[in-house]
Amino acid sequence: MKHRTFELSLERGDLLPLLLMMPTLIIILCIMIVPLIYGFVLTFFNAGFGNSGSPAFAGFDNWVRFFKDETSRKAVLNTVCFSLGATAGDLVLGTICALLLVKLPRIVSSIFRPIVTMPLLVSPVVVGLIWRYIYDPRGILYWILGQFGITIEDFPGVTMPSTALLSTIIAHWWQVTPFVVIVLTAGLLSIPDEYYEAARIDGAGAFNTFFRITLPQLRNVYMTVLIISGVDTIKIFDIIYALTGGGPNNSTISLSIYGYNQAFVQSNLSYAMVISVMTMVLSFLIFGIPFVRNNIASNKR
Amino acid sequence: MSLRTSYKARRIALRIFMLLILAIFIVWTVTPIYIIVSNSFRKTIEMKVMPPKFIFEPTFTHYEKILTLDRFGVFFRNSIIISCFSTFLCIMLGSLAAYGLKLFKSKIGQRISNVMLLGKMVPSIALLIPLFIMMNRVHLTGTYAAPILTNCCLNLPFVTWLMVGFMHDIPDELIESASLSGCSRVSIFGKIIFPLLKPAIASAVILVMQSSWNELMFSLQLTNLNTYPLTVGIARYVGAVSVDWGKSSAAATITMAPIIIIGFFLQKYLVSGMTAGAVKG
Repeated sequence: MKHRTFELSLERGDLLPLLLMMPTLIIILCIMIVPLIYGFVLTFFNAGFGNSGSPAFAGFDNWVRFFKDETSRKAVLNTVCFSLGATAGDLVLGTICALLLVKLPRIVSSIFRPIVTMPLLVSPVVVGLIWRYIYDPRGILYWILGQFGITIEDFPGVTMPSTALLSTIIAHWWQVTPFVVIVLTAGLLSIPDEYYEAARIDGAGAFNTFFRITLPQLRNVYMTVLIISGVDTIKIFDIIYALTGGGPNNSTISLSIYGYNQAFVQSNLSYAMVISVMTMVLSFLIFGIPFVRNNIASNKR
Repeated sequence: MSLRTSYKARRIALRIFMLLILAIFIVWTVTPIYIIVSNSFRKTIEMKVMPPKFIFEPTFTHYEKILTLDRFGVFFRNSIIISCFSTFLCIMLGSLAAYGLKLFKSKIGQRISNVMLLGKMVPSIALLIPLFIMMNRVHLTGTYAAPILTNCCLNLPFVTWLMVGFMHDIPDELIESASLSGCSRVSIFGKIIFPLLKPAIASAVILVMQSSWNELMFSLQLTNLNTYPLTVGIARYVGAVSVDWGKSSAAATITMAPIIIIGFFLQKYLVSGMTAGAVKG
């Protein structure tokens, strides 16, 4: 009898939805929220691997250190440059390809798609490895460039600080542009043909059509692409870790790489956590605020 | 007449130009993968010969070496265990949670799933450091559970959000008529919603599978020699120390081949999973 009433309350009440969500919420709580809070608390102590007792209270020392530290400033700058360069390149290259692709017959895109999705599935650490071989002084890139008379002195690739960051950005373009192409192609196909018809009747040129119709219609698509791939560029770790490891001379060090090195090489867990929190703040400032605003706007509609 | 032919000629020229640009894009995409795969079958001396020969005598010595000497066979097994369990757990929990969110009468479910998506903004390094300490304390580091739980958690927000979006498309009348004919809410999920979710599940499978198969940072610290997945194997041995092109090319090929093959067969779902959020808005 008791069993029955329980079943009844499951059927009617709001207990069932909560019960269904419980495992997900517990995992997110244990693996994401609690560690984040614990990590934030950790920034006010001096935690390392060596000290076995409770870590000493440090106040704001680690935070002050972050703003005084020259390497951290460099890491912030590199991360922002990487993020902007990578995202801008992905979007521009992806837009060009997608625009071409939708103009061509269906058969072309059905051949094109399986080929172009390959880089997306490759592990970023393997991407780093692949590009390490491409940038090798005796590798394929310098052989091709050599045909045009460009030597390693003209474009030093990952060996010199001047071009190392650009080289990592190129590797990232290789991997992520296909994602933009695929998402944008789907977005472009969802724009009703009548809009273009109307533009043609009004005598709008290709340029005007793109900026007045295509871009505004794709607003949401671009927003999602920015949020998905943009946030990933702020967190960039794997490609740089495998390609340059942050060098030469810290020229490609990103916040994630710096944080990782501080934590697991230098054993400064607390300072590493400060760097991580700042990475999160940065990603929220650049991509989180547009995301939230976009969400509020779409909720109103 | 001549006007029309010149128009036609211009159109054809434009077509050819467009195809040319796409061809360049394809070459740019394929070449790096081709280089690494073909190098894994080349003899070490032939590797740095430029221009590379397209036809060569394949050798399997690099594969033999990394699979036996460098324990990549073990890493391969670990990768399969970790990514399969992460995917299974993540999709089970994610679709249950999405159904729970749908059962809320108001629009709040959709909103909660949007808030959960903010989880994507948390950088892995910010989770890794405290998790490393916590998991050490409960002796989870070095077990399969550590990477499985973290992979599952990292993907749960997105999977839940994806499922909420797909469930939104299921007409309410279908559910109402089922509940009128006496189905309980639990059996509605099993009999109606879950079968209709198959395409969404296929999308989630390939997306979660690739992200857990390719995950590096957590596994670097949360696993040990017996539970290293392939990505860590590459980062630890091949990438950092060895300059043996053949061995690392073979390792890279082993790492990327399975997921590219799965992705090829689940192609349609991969694309629909990636575009679902973007195009629906």
